[in-house]
Amino acid sequence: MKVVEFKAVSKSYNGTRVLKDIDFQVEKGERLILLGPSGCGKTTILRLIAGFIAPDQGSIEIGGRVVSEPGRIVVPPEERNLGMVFQDLALWPHLSVKGNLEFGLKAKGFSKAERDQRIEKMLEMVGLREYANRKPGELSGGQQQRVALARALVLEPTVMLMDEPLSSLDTELNIRLRREVIALHKSLGFTMIYVTHDREEAFEIATRVMVMSEGEIVKVGSVKEVRNSLTSISPLIPS
Amino acid sequence: MSKKAILSLTVLLLVVAGLLPVLSMLLKSMVVNCSFSLEAYKGVLTSSRQWKLMGNSLKLASLVTMLTVVAGVPTGLVLEKTDLPLRGLLIPFFVVPLLIPPYILAVSWADLLGRDGLLAHSFGYSPALTNLLFGLPGCVFVLFSIFLPIPILLTTAFLRTIDPGLEEAGRLVTGWWGVIRGITLPLIMPGILLSAMLVFLLSFGEFSVPTFLRYQVYPVESFTQFSAFYNFKAATASALPLALVTLLLLFGETFFLKKHTYQLRPSPHHQGSLRIELKGHKPWVFALITGLVAVLVVVPIVVLVLQSGGLQWYQEAMRRAGFSLVRSVIYAAIGATLLTVLGFLTGYIVQRRALSCWRYVDSLTLFLFALPSTVVGIGLVSLWNTPWTNLIYGTPVIIIMGYLAKYTALASRILVTQLAQVPLSLEEAAQIAGAKWPRRMLFIITPLSRKGLAVCWVVGYLFALRDTGITMLVYPPGLETLPVRIYTLMANGSPQLVAALCMIMISVTVLPMALWLIPQRKGLDEGCRV
Ligand SMILES: Nc1ncnc2c1ncn2[C@@H]1O[C@H](COP(=O)(O)OP(=O)(O)OP(=O)(O)O)[C@@H](O)[C@H]1O
Ligand SMILES: [Mg+2]
Repeated sequence: MKVVEFKAVSKSYNGTRVLKDIDFQVEKGERLILLGPSGCGKTTILRLIAGFIAPDQGSIEIGGRVVSEPGRIVVPPEERNLGMVFQDLALWPHLSVKGNLEFGLKAKGFSKAERDQRIEKMLEMVGLREYANRKPGELSGGQQQRVALARALVLEPTVMLMDEPLSSLDTELNIRLRREVIALHKSLGFTMIYVTHDREEAFEIATRVMVMSEGEIVKVGSVKEVRNSLTSISPLIPS
Repeated sequence: MSKKAILSLTVLLLVVAGLLPVLSMLLKSMVVNCSFSLEAYKGVLTSSRQWKLMGNSLKLASLVTMLTVVAGVPTGLVLEKTDLPLRGLLIPFFVVPLLIPPYILAVSWADLLGRDGLLAHSFGYSPALTNLLFGLPGCVFVLFSIFLPIPILLTTAFLRTIDPGLEEAGRLVTGWWGVIRGITLPLIMPGILLSAMLVFLLSFGEFSVPTFLRYQVYPVESFTQFSAFYNFKAATASALPLALVTLLLLFGETFFLKKHTYQLRPSPHHQGSLRIELKGHKPWVFALITGLVAVLVVVPIVVLVLQSGGLQWYQEAMRRAGFSLVRSVIYAAIGATLLTVLGFLTGYIVQRRALSCWRYVDSLTLFLFALPSTVVGIGLVSLWNTPWTNLIYGTPVIIIMGYLAKYTALASRILVTQLAQVPLSLEEAAQIAGAKWPRRMLFIITPLSRKGLAVCWVVGYLFALRDTGITMLVYPPGLETLPVRIYTLMANGSPQLVAALCMIMISVTVLPMALWLIPQRKGLDEGCRV
């Protein structure tokens, strides 16, 4: 089942086309990785899905419903039921870990009892129960990463958008958190679109890889397929 | 209500409070007996007296601008970039004259140098000195002391936005002198030009000081036509050239500084910024700067304290103006609160470019701030002085509208700077979590902007409290504020009483500032230790 669909989407900034006639679909429950060098338009795709920006041409559908049309946001971000982990994490520094998780639940009108129960369960899953009352500034890099994940997942989004969530961590922590992300995905079964420019990270996490270069999709396929064709496209992908 | 609706209402409020009055005034001045006429303007353009007054005004404003920039920029540099002792403490001192009603300084200098002044009493009367004060030189000097903080503050603010790497790179190839001339000054040039423009317009529009020091300037004309002769048409017609000069300068500003929206974003590496070591120069630089503070700030206050004499004058002052004081504080507090809200929303529009008209919104606020108070005041009267709008015209609401029209630019620019430090992603994260705009504003942006909001409130309070120009024109009978009350008592009250009133005015301004600065400073120190 298609969860997200791009139909001939183009986007320009100041006259420069940064996305050129992009078509792709995201299937329910998959882990789609967007892989490509810096500046190729990966973040732009996530922001289009989120609804922070509108396409210049083409349309975007989520769950079979048109959410963006040329120059127009049909469904605003707050009504798209998505989760997002930002490149800079964007944890709210004035709220505790619990407050960060609770914010969205409150916005969506959950009762106090339900909020507490969901937060409890989520913090348990990411191993942060003892840290519920800490502020983000009082956590380590890896813990902050988990809070960002938990904050998005606690809302049970239809799609998780993740923009290089692990790029700021050292290699060891990066590798450990990849496994945690996969484990979380397996136990919760959400749909995931994950951006990275790291080939190893991509191949470890992906169920499907979409390789981009200069605003175009150059290859889509399983890890195996992409890995095999890598010689022909490898100059485009940093390792 | 949706984001668009609230932000559009914000713009509407600005238009109603500021733009409509000016437009209404313009229209009314051109309509005589229901038909279009430029009769009122003929008088303005053909009177040689008016041309002379305009010449005086331009002369005064140019001299004040030149002097404040020449003195203020180096002072700002020294206070921000060198290891001068006590530099953090000196800035608030410099700022005091800007925060009290301008004529207070003129009163104080007259108390010192006038015919019956303290100096005359001790050393005998010297007409030369008195003549110097009552005329162009005196006006220039007093306005200089009032507006000097503007280039100082803008210089320090712009210096804080410089990435230290730029200066370090320069330092490798040349001495400090070369770095300042070749790198630092060009980088803060927008700030210097902005301060020059503000000082020019503010001293151009100031009328209480020239009136008191008997130097005839243009803004006095429309004020007199209005308040002494009740000649509304003449008042309006002579207010228009003031508006034109303001517009002209603002266009000039946008023309020269197209790309800058004065979005001051402190450099994240600012703490590591290089400091100039004054070494052997320390003593004389220190003496120069503290000397400047002593002459411009301490002397006038001491004179007022001496002049006000004993406690009985303060009791008399409270008896005569106690209610005005209470009103002043209440109006200023309400004004500051509304200014903070309006400035927050306006700042949001400008910083996040949330409406396509953001640039015009920004220009409108700046235009209204730069517009002489007489113009704003007469405009408000022109718009609201109708039988149906007595609820506004006959109540303090009109004073508050005046504050909003005039001072939103300050509030908005403070909060633009603050909002620039709240990453967009924090807001987007809230949006994607399902929060609509009001909730994001209330629970994410507001708490993250609390420091800027606090600064904004205090600045709004101080400027509303000090306002004389607008309030004097629009206050409903019997509801005058303290600065207006003092201004009217100046004509016939005893000098002791006026001095005591001025001291009371200074106290209610400086006390909250001190109360607010002390914890700030403690917080800063703690911040440095961490
Ligand atoms: N708001 C914007 N205004 C102008 N140009 C933009 C804007 N956002 C992105 N771009 C440009 O669009 C292109 C694609 O940017 P995008 O952020 O999508 O790249 P990316 O693949 O995420 O790169 P990175 O790996 O560095 O994050 C870049 O050339 C970028 O400069
Ligand atoms: Mg990116």
